[in-house]
Amino acid sequence: MTMHARSTETVDMMLNMGPQHPATHGVFRMVLSIDGERVVGVRPHIGYLHRGSEKLSENESYGQVVTLFDRLDYVSNLNNELAFVLAAERLMGIEVPERAQYIRVLLCELNRVASHLLFIGTYALDVGAMTPVMYTFRERERIQNLFEHVTGARMMHNYFRIGGVKEDLPHDFAARVRALVGELHKGVEETDRLLTFNEVYLARTRGIGVIDARTAISCGLTGPCLRGSGIAYDARKDDPYEVYDRLDFDVPIGEFGDCWDRYWVRVRECYESLRIVEQALEQMPEGETMAPGRRIVRPPKGEAYVHCENPRGDIGVFLVSDGSDKPYRVKVRPPSFCNLVGLEPMLKDAYVSDAVAILGSLDIVLGEVDR
Amino acid sequence: MAEQNPEQPAENAAAQPSEPGQARPARREPAVQVAEEMLNERGERTATHLERIAGDAAVESGGRDEMPWVRVEPDRLPALARRCRDDAVLKADMLHCLLAVDYVDHIELDYVLFGIGSGHRLLLKTSVPADNPVAPTLTHLWEAAAWYEREAHDLFGVTFEGNDDLEPLLLFEGFEGHPGLKSFPLHEYDEW
Repeated sequence: MTMHARSTETVDMMLNMGPQHPATHGVFRMVLSIDGERVVGVRPHIGYLHRGSEKLSENESYGQVVTLFDRLDYVSNLNNELAFVLAAERLMGIEVPERAQYIRVLLCELNRVASHLLFIGTYALDVGAMTPVMYTFRERERIQNLFEHVTGARMMHNYFRIGGVKEDLPHDFAARVRALVGELHKGVEETDRLLTFNEVYLARTRGIGVIDARTAISCGLTGPCLRGSGIAYDARKDDPYEVYDRLDFDVPIGEFGDCWDRYWVRVRECYESLRIVEQALEQMPEGETMAPGRRIVRPPKGEAYVHCENPRGDIGVFLVSDGSDKPYRVKVRPPSFCNLVGLEPMLKDAYVSDAVAILGSLDIVLGEVDR
Repeated sequence: MAEQNPEQPAENAAAQPSEPGQARPARREPAVQVAEEMLNERGERTATHLERIAGDAAVESGGRDEMPWVRVEPDRLPALARRCRDDAVLKADMLHCLLAVDYVDHIELDYVLFGIGSGHRLLLKTSVPADNPVAPTLTHLWEAAAWYEREAHDLFGVTFEGNDDLEPLLLFEGFEGHPGLKSFPLHEYDEW
């Protein structure tokens, strides 16, 4: 009989996080394998919010699908609407009136600021700073008020139409936007000064959740998550749609691809977006807001792939038409879904206490991840 | 612009290139036209390179004006995708999107590839029969492929050979059927 040495093998501990967890910003669950304080593996579980939006779209007329896109990424509704109407317009070859294009761009950029403000506030909350969320929500509220004034709804706007926008802007729009841009600039700067170079904040985010550019591209990361890794890829510059080629703005990029870089890219994007808003307001011509003579949307048989820059990344819409008044297939390439693929390389060898900071820095919206 | 005839916006704009009192940059015509041309030119270039790379593997090709695509047999897809990724000109290094379309008798798989640095955008198409939907995996080329393939497996029942992690992603475990398919009923089924 031989003596066996007592086994010194260890097993990794599994730590469940979510689906009901305040730091997952929705119903997201991940199972972390941890070795001591280190994360050695992660298994994300999504789909808790799967509503079958793509399938539903196949049974709605083109105009109605816009409302479903509102509900994908519910903090940047207008950017989602834009992706769909652009796809339908490309299929049908509609030329959108210039004024409508400017209106869309202007509202989308304000929506981007609102979305980024939400991120900045909640992300600061994730890593332990209580105050910024009060500041950013105050600023975001101003944008929501303007949206309500223009579209009639605070969130589910349903304002963009295939061929233009629902109706022209209210008469006091220009004055309100000018005032708003000034206020927002001040507001973003205030939060920026409070948070960005805060010692504790830097300690929680600098060098955490690093992803290199090569991995980021392979994982399909886009938007601030990719730009944080130093890749200046922005659909507004690389494949301009609407009137972005006439607007002057920069594409901020990060250096190391860590959480702080992803945050910092978003903060600077707020300033750039405000620049775009000012220019769009300046250049906006008078005129029609809807392409003439189209009431029934019935694109010819064919398919189109359109991608545009959502606050979270590159949203793509693949639209297949069989010539009827309902789309044959609508596929959304959701930026948050793809960014989540980068979670595993980011979490590898991170501390458990940084898991929330890393997940938060991706800025996911589960409505769009699960569709 | 209020007096402009909505039926002939192009002619009107061309007839009055400089309306007095309107200090606005570039009217619609030039800016959009330039963008369109750039796109077409790039589409042409992409198509030329794509067809060179695909060679005799391409069954069909098209989309030269917008997004060039080639159709290949499923078994030749991984090799072609790798060549597109590693090609010195195309450098299609991002798998931007993978989608399945149910055409009842076959399921079409569309792989959207983007070259992040090179700016090329292209589409690889392949079809698998509806009664035996099996396609090769691309997870060894792109990490992003893992979730796309799980999603296509969930919703369309496509099996990806070589991908042994096809656990339900969007659906819950034990869900019967593939809701993306046209044959899946929209109303007449028990949800839970």
